[in-house]
Amino acid sequence: MIQFEHIAIGYSDVLLRSAFIELEAGKVYALIGRNGIGKSTLLQSLTGIVPLKEGTIRLLNDSLESLSRLELVKRIAVVESRFEGLEYLKVKDYIALGRTPHTDAFGNLKQQDLAVIHEIAGALGILALMDKFTDQISDGERQLCAVARAFVQETPMIILDEPTAFLDYLNRKKLLTILVELARDQQKCILLSTHDLELCIQEKVPMLLASSGKLSLHEQLTLDEVLNEMSKY
Amino acid sequence: MKDRSLRLIIICLLGLLPIAMYVHLMSGQIELSYSSYWKAIFDFNNKDTYQVLIREFRIPRMMMALVAGAGLSLAGMLMQTLFKNPLAGPYVLGINSGASLLIAVSMMTGIQLFQSNFGLIGTALIGAMGAGFLMMFVAQRLKSQISLLLVGLMFGSFTAALVSMIESKAGAESLKSFTMWSMGSLQQVTFEQLPIILTLFILSIASVFLLVKPLNVLVLGEKSASMLGIHIQRTRFLILGITALLAGLITAFCGPIAFVGMAIPNLTRMLFRTSNHAALIWGNVLIGGLFLLGIDSIIQLLEGQLSIPLNAFTSLIGAPFVVFLLMRKIK
Repeated sequence: MIQFEHIAIGYSDVLLRSAFIELEAGKVYALIGRNGIGKSTLLQSLTGIVPLKEGTIRLLNDSLESLSRLELVKRIAVVESRFEGLEYLKVKDYIALGRTPHTDAFGNLKQQDLAVIHEIAGALGILALMDKFTDQISDGERQLCAVARAFVQETPMIILDEPTAFLDYLNRKKLLTILVELARDQQKCILLSTHDLELCIQEKVPMLLASSGKLSLHEQLTLDEVLNEMSKY
Repeated sequence: MKDRSLRLIIICLLGLLPIAMYVHLMSGQIELSYSSYWKAIFDFNNKDTYQVLIREFRIPRMMMALVAGAGLSLAGMLMQTLFKNPLAGPYVLGINSGASLLIAVSMMTGIQLFQSNFGLIGTALIGAMGAGFLMMFVAQRLKSQISLLLVGLMFGSFTAALVSMIESKAGAESLKSFTMWSMGSLQQVTFEQLPIILTLFILSIASVFLLVKPLNVLVLGEKSASMLGIHIQRTRFLILGITALLAGLITAFCGPIAFVGMAIPNLTRMLFRTSNHAALIWGNVLIGGLFLLGIDSIIQLLEGQLSIPLNAFTSLIGAPFVVFLLMRKIK
């Protein structure tokens, strides 16, 4: 699905380097690393905001630089770290914004768009929230809405920036389980940055570990191994 | 709120519009017959004082109340969405101040940017546009919503200082006409100027409708909008351009009118309870137009006993409304 080919990322200085890494469809990957190590910068490089210093990232065989903005947003959906809800913005309208790359110049929703929204909302179990305002639901519910917005964008790859921050333990677990299931069922590649080490280990989520200037992929690690790696910072 | 009930509100507001226009025309001090109105428009005789009164005063004033109310509200809505700030507006952000400054320069120093008949619009437009881009530049470097409003306030004070320096050097005649202009008035427009004003106004509204999609996505912020494929630079430029056109046009002809552009978009959102800009554009145009028609009707009715400058009246209502919004929204 997506390949990191000997990349170096950072602003003026290189923060992280990687050898060849490939992330597959149908899986959730957790981007783990200490604060300030370059996780956010990596996510921004994936969305074309921060250009790569070296190497290439290929998404479905095309390098990211070769894609136009519209082609890129049809391949990668991004959920930013915290959506606090907006007054007078309904859940269904919020989720529908995920269809933006697919709608006409006026943003009109067609039957097909509504069907996709309905299907995803059903899969995430938030159909009952659709007519509520986004500032009047709980943090956990709002996070599910943000995930729904990313899924209705119908991109092969989804990036979530710390989706589990601000959630209680049960909601974290629920969100991660849902993401693992959806990634498998819909054959998507999901990359999320998180500090929930135990949860990721428990759910056997493969880890993209950022430590001492290097990015490495690990199918399974114990908590001790992760902590050991991270303390090399 | 369901789409159907939104449509119903819009139809009701549309129905109120001719009534408000009628009330405005009838609330002048001198009573005039319907036939004079008819003749003034379709069979004008410039010897008939009543017809001149209608054609040169009543109709332009009524149309300008509508245009100014609707235009400022729409400009305010655009600013609030672009800056993601419910307290933004052309007045608060200094868009009006930019226009005022250049108008003061051109009215009182004799330095004219344009020579033509519509020089004042051009001047106000450049001032409004300049202030708009300055605010955009500053906004990108500020973290908090309140800071932006404070910067707008500072910019307002700064331009006001420059204006008073110009005033101290100005001749009596030009000083008087600038002072009259700065009180805000809907009576400066002639019947002949109406077609061009209305054309620009309608073109601006039509272009805002073309921006419905980016506006709806912009409520999530520029970063998220960009990741949904919205061309941010282009959208920002178009929004600021239309805002400057509306605010500049209205400021040039009516003087500064405070708070309408900030208050009405909030009122519209509260009434419509939606973030869909297709409905909000209708709402702002209609509610803004109705509001200023109403306010100016009251001013006309009171004219015998008390003459209130328009800008003072809108501030009298607008300032407490800002305090109300501050207490409600920003915790």
